[in-house]
Amino acid sequence: MAYVALSEAEKTFILHGVEEDYRCDGRSRRDYRPMELETGLVSNASGSARLRLANTDILVGVKTEIDVPHQLTPEFGKLEFFVDCSANATPEFEGRGGSDLAQELILSLKNAYESPFAFDYRSLCLIPGQQCWKLYIDILILECGGNLYDAVSLAAKAALFNTKLPRVTATLLDAGITDLIISDNPYDCTRIGIETVPLLVTVCKIGDFCLVDPSAEEEACSTVSMVVAVSQRNNEAFLSGTHMTGGGSMHRDTMLNCLQLGLSIGDYLDKLLVKMLKQEQERVGPKRPKIVGFLK
Amino acid sequence: MQTLREFTRKTKRGNILKIVREHYLRDDIGCGSDICQHCFQNDVYALTADHDLQSSLFKYPHYLVLDTNVVLDQIDVLEEDVLRNVIILTTVLNEVKHKSSSIYKRINEIIHDRRRNFYVFVNEHHKDTYADREPDETANDRNDRAIRIATKWYDNHLKSSQVSKSFQRSGRQVTRVVLLTDDAGNRAKAEAEDILVATASEYVKSLSDHPLLADKLSHKTFANEKQALPQYPPHLSLREILEGLKQKKLLQGSFQASRENYLEGNVNVEQYEKGILIQGRESLNRAVDGDIVAIELLPQSEWSAPSEIVLEEKNVYADDLPSEERTEEEKVMLQQVRAAAVVDAERTPTGRIVGIVRRKWRQYCGILQPSLIEDTSRHIFVPADRKIPRIRIETRQAATLQNQRIIVTIDNWPRNSRYPHGHFVRSLGPLGDMNTENEVILLEHDVPHCKFSEEVLSFLPKMPWTITPEDYAKRVDLRDLYICSVDPPGCTDIDDALHCRELENGNLEVGVHIADVSHFIRPGNALDKEAAARGTTVYLVGKRIDMVPELLSSNLCSLVGGVERFAFSCVWEMDKEANIIKKRFHKSVIKSKRAMTYEEAQVLIDDSTQDNEIAKSLRHLNRLAKILKKRRMDNGALVLASPEIRFQVDSETHEPLEVEVKQLRDTNSMVEEFMLLANISVAEHIAAEFSECAVLRRHPKPPTTNFDPLIKAARYQGFEIETETGLSLSHSLDKCVKADNPYFNTMIRILTTRCMMQAVYFISGSLQKEEFFHYGLAAPIYTHFTSPIRRYSDIMVHRLLAASIGADSTYAQLLERKSNEELCHNLNYRHKMAQYAGRASVGLNTHLFFRGKEEDEEGYVLFVRKNALQVLIPKYGLEGTLYLKTDKDGKDGHERAKSTVVFTFSEEDHTQRCGNVVFHSFDPVTVRLSLDSSNVQHEKLVFRLVKPYIKGFSVETGSESAADVAAPPPTKKTKKNQKKK
Repeated sequence: MAYVALSEAEKTFILHGVEEDYRCDGRSRRDYRPMELETGLVSNASGSARLRLANTDILVGVKTEIDVPHQLTPEFGKLEFFVDCSANATPEFEGRGGSDLAQELILSLKNAYESPFAFDYRSLCLIPGQQCWKLYIDILILECGGNLYDAVSLAAKAALFNTKLPRVTATLLDAGITDLIISDNPYDCTRIGIETVPLLVTVCKIGDFCLVDPSAEEEACSTVSMVVAVSQRNNEAFLSGTHMTGGGSMHRDTMLNCLQLGLSIGDYLDKLLVKMLKQEQERVGPKRPKIVGFLK
Repeated sequence: MQTLREFTRKTKRGNILKIVREHYLRDDIGCGSDICQHCFQNDVYALTADHDLQSSLFKYPHYLVLDTNVVLDQIDVLEEDVLRNVIILTTVLNEVKHKSSSIYKRINEIIHDRRRNFYVFVNEHHKDTYADREPDETANDRNDRAIRIATKWYDNHLKSSQVSKSFQRSGRQVTRVVLLTDDAGNRAKAEAEDILVATASEYVKSLSDHPLLADKLSHKTFANEKQALPQYPPHLSLREILEGLKQKKLLQGSFQASRENYLEGNVNVEQYEKGILIQGRESLNRAVDGDIVAIELLPQSEWSAPSEIVLEEKNVYADDLPSEERTEEEKVMLQQVRAAAVVDAERTPTGRIVGIVRRKWRQYCGILQPSLIEDTSRHIFVPADRKIPRIRIETRQAATLQNQRIIVTIDNWPRNSRYPHGHFVRSLGPLGDMNTENEVILLEHDVPHCKFSEEVLSFLPKMPWTITPEDYAKRVDLRDLYICSVDPPGCTDIDDALHCRELENGNLEVGVHIADVSHFIRPGNALDKEAAARGTTVYLVGKRIDMVPELLSSNLCSLVGGVERFAFSCVWEMDKEANIIKKRFHKSVIKSKRAMTYEEAQVLIDDSTQDNEIAKSLRHLNRLAKILKKRRMDNGALVLASPEIRFQVDSETHEPLEVEVKQLRDTNSMVEEFMLLANISVAEHIAAEFSECAVLRRHPKPPTTNFDPLIKAARYQGFEIETETGLSLSHSLDKCVKADNPYFNTMIRILTTRCMMQAVYFISGSLQKEEFFHYGLAAPIYTHFTSPIRRYSDIMVHRLLAASIGADSTYAQLLERKSNEELCHNLNYRHKMAQYAGRASVGLNTHLFFRGKEEDEEGYVLFVRKNALQVLIPKYGLEGTLYLKTDKDGKDGHERAKSTVVFTFSEEDHTQRCGNVVFHSFDPVTVRLSLDSSNVQHEKLVFRLVKPYIKGFSVETGSESAADVAAPPPTKKTKKNQKKK
C-alpha cells in the first residue's frame, strides 16, 4: 500500500475525528467520497470503465477471447483478472514494487467472483465442454488515494456492464465438432448479466470504530481492515467473501459489526451503481458516443 | 476529423477479435468537376462539360454515379468508349475489389484512361458523405446508403455552383447527377430521397446515339421470357455447400468438361486419383469447364464408365426448347453407357453436381450460329472451345457479326434455360483471317499478348547501349575464346553459345555461355513482373509472342555473332572420356565468333578440309556429346517421340506453303547434351546452396495405370513393355522393332510419350529429395538454366546462381519460399498453355494447308476405337479419326456405308473387322485427306479410307492409282521430346 508520511499528532487527530464520527474531510464513518465513473472509453477493448474515487484513479479494460472450458467445469466460462499498479500512482510501484499489492487485489477479486451465486460463469459458456468465452479484466491503477479494493471492484463491475460480446452462432458438424460463426454486424452483440457481480467494501478499523472508504491517511492509521465482498441475489445482498488485511487482529464482535456494516453499505452501493450505469447507457444509446478530442 | 470503424473478425485459430481502425474524415476532397466553384481541385478536371450524351431519359447534361452491381455486371458496357463523366465512389470500388478482382482490374484501367473522364470520389473519407453504420443495418444496406448520400451530396453541391447570376446568364443547362443502379430496393429508396435514378439497361437503351451499346448489356433476366419449365435441378446455396463439405457429404473440385462428349465431364477431387465422372445433362447441372463445383457421389451401384462415344451437340436454335427427339437421344446414349458399364469392370466413381462454389467464367471466342428466323435479336453463340456450352445472347447486329470471330461472356445460367445467357463483348475480326485466328488461339489459351506497357519499356536499358569499364572489371573476359552458337535457322533470340578448347594437361575445357538476361531484368520492377506474368515466350507458326521486349530478346541479350555480349558461363574441365574434373560458374563477357544453324555446324564438322578453331572445337564437342548421350541412355533416359512438323510460311499472306517434319541432325543432339549437362550442374549447385528455395524441375514417374494402353497395344503385337523403371522401359522400347513396319518403333514411342506425366517446376523446400527425380532424363535433379530469354524459370535460376557465387546482390524475395512457389505455379500453367497454343497453331495451319486440297497419304492406325480408327500420318505429324460407324445424320458424308458395310469391334484384341479385312493397331493404311468446312468454326480434316479397299466404304480411287499419290514410307525418326525436358 502506498506509503503516506504521517506524524504521531496527525494520526491522533484522525483517530479522534473517527471517534467523533466527523472525519478530516467532513464525512461520517458510513460516507463515501465523491466518485466519477465513465464507461466505454477504450475503443479497442470490448468493455471498459474508468473510476475516480477522490484521488484514486482506476482504468479497467475487458478483452474477450474464445477458449476451451476447464475439464472440471465444462459448463463454465473463464474470467481472469490482471492488476497493473502503474508507477504513476506512486514511486513505490516502480519495478516490481506493486506486484504484491496487485496479487492481493487479484486474489480478493477472484475469491469474491468465484463464490457460488456470485458471478454466473455459465453465462460465458458457448458450447459446454468445447467453447466458452474467456474474459480478461485488465485493471490499471493510475493513482492511489486509498480504498483501492472498493474502487477496483466498482470499476470492474462497470466495465463488465459495458462489455459487448459479439453474437456467436454455433453450427454442429460431424463427430460433435462445432464451428462458430460471428455476426458481421458490430452492433449485434450480447451483454453480460451483472446483477450478481460482487462489490468489495473495505471496512477499516481505526481505534475502536469501523468506517468505510478510508482515505490514504486513514489507512495509515488503521492496523486491520476487513474486505467484505457483497453480492446481490433476488434483490437481497449477501456475503460472497471476506478477507482481512493489515497486521492487527479483531475481536469477534467487532468483526460481526464490520460484516454488517459492509453488507449494508455494499447493498446500497451496488444499487446506486447499477442505477447510474443504466442511466448512462440510456443517455448514450447503442451508438458509440463521439469522442471529443483535438481532431474533432 | 476522426472516427473509428469497428468490426469483429475470427482468426484462423478460431479466436474472435475485436478490431478497431481509425478512420479520418477530410474536408479538402475535391469533387473533380469543372463546374464547381467551391472545391479545391488539385488535379485536372475529370468531369468536364465537353461531353454530352443524348439520353431520352435525362435531357440535360448529367454525371453518372454507378452502383456496385452496375460495375460488376455491366463492365463490358463501361469499357465501351461511350459513357463519360462517370463518378466512381470508393465505396463501390471497395465492394468491386472484394467481389471480383478481375473486374476491379478492368474498372481501374478505365479510370486511368484520362480520355474517359471517370472520376474516383473518395466518399468514404469526405466529411459530408461518410456514412457510419447504423445499428440493425447490414453492410450492404450501409453501402447503398453511402452511395445515395454521395449522389445526393454531388447533386446539391453542383447545384450550389450553378445558381450564380453569371451562370444563369450563360444560358447553360444545369448539370445534374444520376444514379444508375440495378438494385430495386436501392432504386426505390433513391426515388424517395429525390435522387435521379435509372437502371443500367434503361439508361443505355435511352442513349439515342449509341443503339448498339445495348448489345453489351448483361442480362440477369431476359426480358419477356416465357417461363419455361426448369430443366435443371436447383443448386444448393453456398451455405448448404459449405456445410455439406464440412460434413464430408459433398466433395469439391474443379470441373473439366469432356472435349469429345458434351454430356460428360470430370471433377478433379483431391482424394480421388482419376477424378469423378459426371454424366448426363442433369448431373452436369449447368457447370461450365473450369468452375469449382460441389458434387455428391452416387452410390456405387450407379457408377458408370466414361463412354467411348464421341458425341457432339447438333445445331440448336434460339427457341431453346429441346426437341423431344433430342432428349430421347440423350437418354438412349446414357442408357447405353450405363448398360455397357455394368458389364465393364472399368467403372469409376461417378457423381452429380449439386452446387457451384465458384464460377470461373471468362470471355469466350467463337462465332454466331446463323439463325433460322430473320430479324430476331436472340442468337446462339458457338464457342471455339468444345468444352464450353453454347451461349444465348441478344444482339441487333447479327448480320454484321455473322462471319466474324466474336467474344462473348456468360452472365448467368438460370434453371429453366438449356443454355447459359451471355452478352456480346467485341469482335475479333473476319473468320479465317490469320490475325483473327491467331488472336483466338492466344485468347483461348490465356496467353498475355498485349504490347508491353510504357512502364515496362521504361526499365529497358537506354540505347545506344555500351559496355562500361566497370562491367569488364566485374566479369571474366572470354572475348578471345572461340565461342559459337548453334541454333535453328532464322532464330533471333540466341540464348546459348558453346566453346571447347584443349588445355595444356590434355584435358578439355568446355563452356556453355547463356545470355545474361538477369543483368537487364532487375528483380521487382515492372519489366520483371511482366516477364514473370508471361512466364514464357509462346511460339505460334510464323509468330512469336515474346516474354521480354524485343530489344532484349533479339538484341541485347541475344548472343549474336561478332558482338560483345554479357553471358553467364558454366565451364567444365573434362577428360577425353567426358568425365567432369572441375566445374565453375561465372559471369562473363563473350564475343561469339559465329552464329550457326544446325546445318552449317553439321557441314563444318563433316568437312574434313576445315581445320579452323571453330571446326576443331565443334568436333570435340560432338564427340563428348555422344559419350554423354550414351551414358545418359545407359542410365535409363527415355527416347520419346512426338510428331513435330514445321510449316514454311508465305512471308506476306502468312499462309502455310509447305509442311515438313523437323529434321534432326547430330548437332541438335550435341547442343542438347551440353544444355542438359549445364542444367544438371546448375541444379546440383543451387540445390546445395539453397536447400529451401531453389527452383528446380521434376518429372514424376507416371503411375503404372498410365501405361495400360501402351502395354495393351504392344501386347497385341507380341511385345512386352516393362514399365518397372525407366531403364527397363527404355530397353523394352528398344526391342519393339518390326521388320515389316519401320515406323512401328516410333509409334510405340509416341504412345509412350502420351503415358508420361507433365514435367513441372517446383521449389526444393516443398518436396522430399527423392521426389526431385526427372524421370524422362533419368537425372536425380534438374532445372532450367539455358534459355532465360524465353523462360522466366531460367531467370529465377540465374538469380539464385548469381547470388550463390556472389556475382549479384540478393534480395528478400529471392529466398522467400511462398512467393517463389506461386511463381512456379504460374510458370507451370503458362508453359502448359504455351504448349497447347503452339499445338493449336499447328492444327490451324494444317487446316489452312489442306484448304481446297485432297491428298492421299500413307498412315498408320494408332488406336482402334469402338466406332473409329485413330490414324497417324507421319508426313504431317497429323492425327485424325476415321469414323467407321456413321452418324445418324450421315454428317460425315458416307451414309452409303450404313447399308452394306458392317464393322465388328472385338473387345479382346482391339480390332475392327469387316469381311476379311481386319484393322489392328499399327497397321498401315492409306487415307484420303480433305478439309470439311461445313462447320466454319471447327473446320476439320476428314479421313477417308483408300487402302485396304473395302467395297462400299473406301473411296473409289477410279483410274488414278492410289500408289501415285501416296507418300513414300517415311524415314524412321526418333526425337527426344522437347516438351518433356
